[in-house]
Amino acid sequence: MTKSTAWQRLTRRTEFWIFLVLIVAIVSIYFVSNGQLAEPNHIVTILRAMIVDGLLGMACLIVIVAGGFDLSFPTVAACASCIATSICVSLGWSSTNPIAGIILSIIIGAILGMLNGLLIAHFHLNTMLVTLSSSTFFLGIALGILKLREISADLPNGLRQFGEWSLFEVSSSSGIKSSMSGIFIIYVLTAIIVAFVLRQTMFGRALYSIGGSEIAAERAGYNVEKIKFILYTVVGAMSGFAGIIRVCLAQQAIPKALLNREFVIIPAVILGGGSFFGGKGTVFGTVTAIALITLVTNSMLLIGVDSYWQKFFNGLVIIIGIMVSSLQAKRNKG
Amino acid sequence: MKGIDKSFGGTHALDHVNFAVKPGRVMCLAGENGCGKSTLVKIISGVYTKDEGEVYFEDKLIEHITPADATKLGIQVIYQDLSIFPNLTVRENLAINSEILNNRRFVNRKRWDETAKEALSKIGYDIDLNAEMGTLSIADKQLVAICRALLFNAKLIIMDEPTTSLTKREVDALFKTIRQLKETGISIMFIGHKLEEIFEIGDDVCVMRNGKNVFLGTTEGLQRKDLIYYMTGREINDDFFVPENISEEPILEVEHLTLNNKYKDISFKLHKGEILGITGLLGSGRTELALSLFGVEHPTGGTIRMSGKEIKITSPTKAKALKIGYLPEDRRTEGLCMNQAIDDNIQLATLQEISNHGVLNQKTILKHAQKWVDKFSIKTDDPRKKAETLSGGNQQKIVLSKWLATNLEILVLNGPTVGVDIGAKQDIHHLVHELANDGLAVIMISDDLAEVVVNCSRVLVMKAGSIVGEMEGKEITEDNIRQIIM
Repeated sequence: MTKSTAWQRLTRRTEFWIFLVLIVAIVSIYFVSNGQLAEPNHIVTILRAMIVDGLLGMACLIVIVAGGFDLSFPTVAACASCIATSICVSLGWSSTNPIAGIILSIIIGAILGMLNGLLIAHFHLNTMLVTLSSSTFFLGIALGILKLREISADLPNGLRQFGEWSLFEVSSSSGIKSSMSGIFIIYVLTAIIVAFVLRQTMFGRALYSIGGSEIAAERAGYNVEKIKFILYTVVGAMSGFAGIIRVCLAQQAIPKALLNREFVIIPAVILGGGSFFGGKGTVFGTVTAIALITLVTNSMLLIGVDSYWQKFFNGLVIIIGIMVSSLQAKRNKG
Repeated sequence: MKGIDKSFGGTHALDHVNFAVKPGRVMCLAGENGCGKSTLVKIISGVYTKDEGEVYFEDKLIEHITPADATKLGIQVIYQDLSIFPNLTVRENLAINSEILNNRRFVNRKRWDETAKEALSKIGYDIDLNAEMGTLSIADKQLVAICRALLFNAKLIIMDEPTTSLTKREVDALFKTIRQLKETGISIMFIGHKLEEIFEIGDDVCVMRNGKNVFLGTTEGLQRKDLIYYMTGREINDDFFVPENISEEPILEVEHLTLNNKYKDISFKLHKGEILGITGLLGSGRTELALSLFGVEHPTGGTIRMSGKEIKITSPTKAKALKIGYLPEDRRTEGLCMNQAIDDNIQLATLQEISNHGVLNQKTILKHAQKWVDKFSIKTDDPRKKAETLSGGNQQKIVLSKWLATNLEILVLNGPTVGVDIGAKQDIHHLVHELANDGLAVIMISDDLAEVVVNCSRVLVMKAGSIVGEMEGKEITEDNIRQIIM
């Protein structure tokens, strides 16, 4: 029996290749933009721009690992954060610190996620269909019943200040000042926690097992129904968290803000080593793929490409993501 | 086990079944599909609860049993699908069950490693623990599953049709492992329906038919034809195919046909009224050759002539127009629309012919299909039912009638009775004999040598992409073929 070397195992992983692509992208954009990419203000802008997508990407990742599909997480993020912000506005909460608003948004997200979880785990419905309809349903509640509207000028001060949290200021050679958002630390911490749960806890391993073979997971002794219910609740909570972070960073709460964001984030997770068939994907891969997409979309103007090419690029990512996933599936079969 | 009884709705799945597995012996549970074998296993392993009867394990009466209880008692089931996680490493696959059983919360990779090594040492098996499970061969996956089962001090291991997708050599290796386990005092319950395997590995045998056990005893002194009788409830003899009218002129002439890396320089002639066997091991090029005759694979050299005229079979549509039919290896994915009605499946290849300028009428479809259902005695009370409701043998009859409805001249059968019960297998063989004697030219590709011997009037043996032997009439014996096939 030949043992595979660590190098062979590494090069077999999608994560390795997507990381290489990211490096190549950084280097080529650096040269095409005549070194402008390395301007400190560009770097902090790009880092700041990947926070929300990155947080959503991790929520999406854990569902994909477990072999499911969630199309509702951006809607949950938007609805939970807008509801939370409106409550804060009307009750005067979060006027000095952001905690109340953030926790509220997480709880509302968890409740919405629980609804998905109930339908998927208990009634054994198809994940994609459930979340497709629930996302419409949630948006309907937010816009129609709760009559949520855009909040920007009235945004509670606590949330506003949290969004302006600056670690340090940098200025470019032409004198434009930008600040490095402190929320980036929260993003890194979240990534570390999710990676720990996926790698080092039995709950995380259960998600990989269920994604690999649900029947085998059940026979091995996992309570698959319970695990799925918890999974979708956690995904809801994480989406609620991502949503309120977006509100703070953008300094406004818009119910339709993240509409259709799933069509960028799901392919990114796949591109980063996730699989349409479940059981695969890592935080490192997802974070790298999100970084790549953020980098390229934010560098369009820098390298003198019209911004409508963003759509073209997003579409390209989706196609490549699908191709990578099915190639992987084919290779594993043979 | 005494008098086990189980009903599902109106179906009496198990009718007072008695049997016993003795320590350190291999007990074969045999029977055709749907005889209640799987139900019995699920009762032992705690997935289903029995309606009546008593189960004893090590002389203790077991009242109620859950899957977790079964594991604690030392009963392990290795299912046909092996219950493995293809996306995880071998190490994790081996360790996962005991981790869950011990209610672990956090991962300890060192502990995994110890568990995995302990499991492998049980049968002295060596494999890369870092390998991803999905990349292993089926035989390796099976050994991993066996090792995993042995971790829980298993006393009884139930194997559900473990040889289904193994090659002959892998089966031998598996049997070696089984004997090794037997010597350590572990009892094996081996579920299967292949006669040779039952005689080779079994010490005791329990035969089930329609939910009843019809035979219980040792394999010693048991006659092959008695076992068949117990399994099918009828006498089955090897009815050799006697060609009645083979045409003078060949209908198909294949010359120097070559497909890069798959097969090379294949030449043969096929006459009306004969059944030409093509046999060879997996990877000998037999399937690719069959697919070339149906236009799925495209040969890179050589010629094919049909009734003296050179033809190019560029696509299945072209093959169909030339009146060549193909019965695929895997009827479930390539031959049938499983979730569609039986009659729709039968008429699938002839929809154009029976439509009224492209408009179909369900009644017409049913009328045409009913003819075939009657002719082939396809067992169904309603041809409007879905194809997946039928047994493997009856499904195969549908695929056959689909092609025969098109008035074929040449029929290529690829593994016509894979996974089909003995009884239904004989029905299909008779059917093919009749068709050949009615003037159809048949090519039968099969690695089941017994099948080749009984059915073919001429046999080509393939090995590594070439024809290495040709036999006719009395020369065709299993031994003769085996000598050149390896």
